[in-house]
Amino acid sequence: MGRQGLSLNELVVMRGGRSVLDGLTLSVPAGHIYALLGGNGAGKSTALFATLGLLPVMSGQVLVDGKDPAEEPDAVRAAIAYLSETVALYEHLTARENVDYFLSLANQSRTNAEIVEAFAQVRLDPTAQDQRLSAFSKGMRQKTAIALALLRKTPVLLLDEPTTGLDPQATQDFHALLLDLKASDVAILMVTHDLLGAVDVADTIGLIIDGKLASQWQAQSTLPRFDLQALYGAFTQARAGNTPV
Amino acid sequence: MRRAGLIARAELALMVRSRVALIGVVALLLLSTIAAATSQAHMAQERLSRLANQTQTDALFEAQPARHPHRMVHYGSYVFRPIGPLAGFDPGIDPFSGTTLYLEGHRQNSATISAVRENSSLMRFGQLTPAFVLQTLAPLLLIFLGFSMITRERGRGSLRLLLSSGVTAGDIIFGKTLALGSIGLVALVPAWLALFLMALAMPSEAGAAAMIGLGCGLYVLIWVVGIVAASALAQTGQGALLSLIGIWCFVAIVAPRGAAELASRLAPLDSRATTDLTIQAELRQLGDSHNPDDPFFAAFKARILAQHRVTKVEDLPFNFRGAVSAEGEALTSRLFDKYFVELATVQRTQSQIVSGLSILSPALAVRHVSMAGAGTDLETHLRFLQQSEAHRFAMVQYLNGLHRDKLNHADDAARSKDRAAEQRTRIAADNWAKVPDFVFKPTRAAERLSAALAPILTLSLWLGAMLVLAVWSRRVLEGRAL
Repeated sequence: MGRQGLSLNELVVMRGGRSVLDGLTLSVPAGHIYALLGGNGAGKSTALFATLGLLPVMSGQVLVDGKDPAEEPDAVRAAIAYLSETVALYEHLTARENVDYFLSLANQSRTNAEIVEAFAQVRLDPTAQDQRLSAFSKGMRQKTAIALALLRKTPVLLLDEPTTGLDPQATQDFHALLLDLKASDVAILMVTHDLLGAVDVADTIGLIIDGKLASQWQAQSTLPRFDLQALYGAFTQARAGNTPV
Repeated sequence: MRRAGLIARAELALMVRSRVALIGVVALLLLSTIAAATSQAHMAQERLSRLANQTQTDALFEAQPARHPHRMVHYGSYVFRPIGPLAGFDPGIDPFSGTTLYLEGHRQNSATISAVRENSSLMRFGQLTPAFVLQTLAPLLLIFLGFSMITRERGRGSLRLLLSSGVTAGDIIFGKTLALGSIGLVALVPAWLALFLMALAMPSEAGAAAMIGLGCGLYVLIWVVGIVAASALAQTGQGALLSLIGIWCFVAIVAPRGAAELASRLAPLDSRATTDLTIQAELRQLGDSHNPDDPFFAAFKARILAQHRVTKVEDLPFNFRGAVSAEGEALTSRLFDKYFVELATVQRTQSQIVSGLSILSPALAVRHVSMAGAGTDLETHLRFLQQSEAHRFAMVQYLNGLHRDKLNHADDAARSKDRAAEQRTRIAADNWAKVPDFVFKPTRAAERLSAALAPILTLSLWLGAMLVLAVWSRRVLEGRAL
C-alpha cells in the first residue's frame, strides 16, 4: 500500500476556551505541497499542532498516512517530520550531532554514507557538518533540518513559517529542497504568510480564516500556476478581517 | 529509558560545552574536595590536641605533691571531649558546644572552650565541611544548572521538536533528571570518598558512614528531582529560577534557623546563670557540709554515731570530716543529676521539635542524619556531660574516701592551728595516680544508626513527594508543549 499523505476532516480544536479550528478540512496527498495561508491567529499553527497530537481534538479527525494520532500517537509522530519557524535544533551540537541525536530519538539509524548524502542533497558545505549550529545562519540551520527530514524518510513533512528570516537566495534553495522532497512522495503541509513563496512551490494553496478553510486554489499545469491577483485580493481581505467571496 | 539516556547525554554535552556550567561543576568539585580534606585535617589536629591536653592534665594531677585530699578535691581536673572518627564530615554542634569541663568538688561546671568562642567571629558563618558544601552549596549549583533544563526547551521550540520525534514528556523529565543527577553524583563523590576513607580507618564506623552517605544521596536526589519538576512546571526560566532560589533560601537557610528559634520558644531553657542560682538556693536548703551546726549534717552525725555505737566523732573508726565531705558530695551530686535530667529533657524536647519540623525542610532531616551518624549531635554532648559528671563524682568520692580513711580526725580538726598536725594530714602523692582516668564511651554505632533511621524515613518521604511532583509535572508538560 502506497503512502496516504495527510488529511484533516472537520477538525475542531479549542484553545483557551475558544474554538481555534472550527471544522477545518483539507487534504495533502503524497507527493503534494499544500500551503496554508492566513492572518495571525487564524489557526494555521494550531492545525500543525493538532496533526502532531500536541493538542486534543474536540471533534473531527486527523489522518497521517492513514493513522489517527489520537489512536496511534507514536506511529503518527514516527510518520511526521516537523520544522518550526525557529529551527529548534541544538546550538551546542554540530549539524552532524543534531542529526544523529534526533534520528536516535526517533529510533532510526542511518549509515555515514546516507548522512553525507543527505547533507550533500541540501547543499550544506561539508566543512560545516562538524561545526556547531551556534555558528550557522538561519539558512544553514534550515538545510540541517531538511537533511534531518530527508534522513527520517517520513511520509509527511510539516513546516511552520519555514522561510521567515531567509534571504531570497536561501528561500530559493529551500524551495528547491521542498521540490526534491515532493519528488520523493512526501506530503508537505506548509503554513506561511509568504504568498509569493507559496505560489512558487505549492500544488494547493488554502486560505484559513477563523479556523475554517475559506478558499482553496489548485496550481495550474501551465504558467502562471496561480491567479496571483485573485490570491492577493483574497489574502489582503482576509488580513483585513473580511471573508473573501 | 533509551531515549531518556540520549536526552541526558545531550544535556551533559551542553553543560560540558557551556563553560559557565563546567566552571560551576569544577568549582563545586574543588570545594567539596577542599572541604573534605581541610575538615578532616582540622578534626585530626583537634583530636590530637584534645588528647594531648587530656594527657597533660592527667599528668599534672598525678604530679601533685603530698597534700590534704580535700585540697585535691578543690584542685580538680579537666576532661576533654574526644572527637569521633566521622566528625570530620560533620562537626555538628561541636564548634558551638563546650568541649572541656573543669571537674571539682561541690560544683558542676558548664562545658567551656568552644571553637566558635575561641576563634574569630568568622566561625559563626560556618566551617567549610563536606556536610555544609553538600547540604547548602550543592543545591544552589544544581539550581543554577537545572532551572532552565525544560523551560529552555519550551522557550526555543525544541520541546515541540522532541515530542514530534516520538519522545514523551516522561522521557524528557527522566532524561533531564539523569543529567542533573549525574552532576549531583559528581558533587557527592568527594564526600562519599571522605566517608569511605574515614570508615576504612575505623571499620566499626562503616555502618554509620554508609548511613550518612545514604542520607546525603537522598537529599541531593530530592533537589535533583524537585529542580527538574520545577523547570517543567514553570512558565519561564526566570520564574523557575526565582521560585527555586526562594525554596533554597527557605529550606537551607530560614528553616534550620527558624526551627531552632521556634524550638527554643516552645521549650524554653533557663540560662546557665539562672540554673546555677536555683541550684545554689536548693543547696543552701539541703545543708552545708562545712557548717558543723547545720541541721542536716547534725542529723547525719547523730545517725553515724548511733550506727557505730559511740558518743563522739573522735571515737569513730574513721575520720568523720571525710565522711561528712562524702555525704555532702552525694547530696549535691543528686541535685546536679536532677537538674541535668531537667536540662537534658528540655534540650531533647527542643531537638525533637526541630526533627519534627524536618517535614518542612529536608535540610533539617539530612543534618540530623549526618550529626547522629557522625556522633556530633546533642545526644553525644549530653552523654559527655553525663559521663563527665559520673567521673567527677567518682574522683571526688575517691578523694573523700582517702580523707575519711587515711586521716586522723584529731589531726584534721587541728590542722589549721597545728603545723605538725597539718603535715600529718598530707597523704602520699602516689594516691593521685590511683584516680581512674576519664574514658569517654561514645554512643555505639548501632545506636547512632538507629537514631538516624527516622530522618532517613523523612528524607524518603520527601523523595516520594518530589517523585509525585515529577509525575504531575509530566502531565503539565504534555499540556504545555506549545
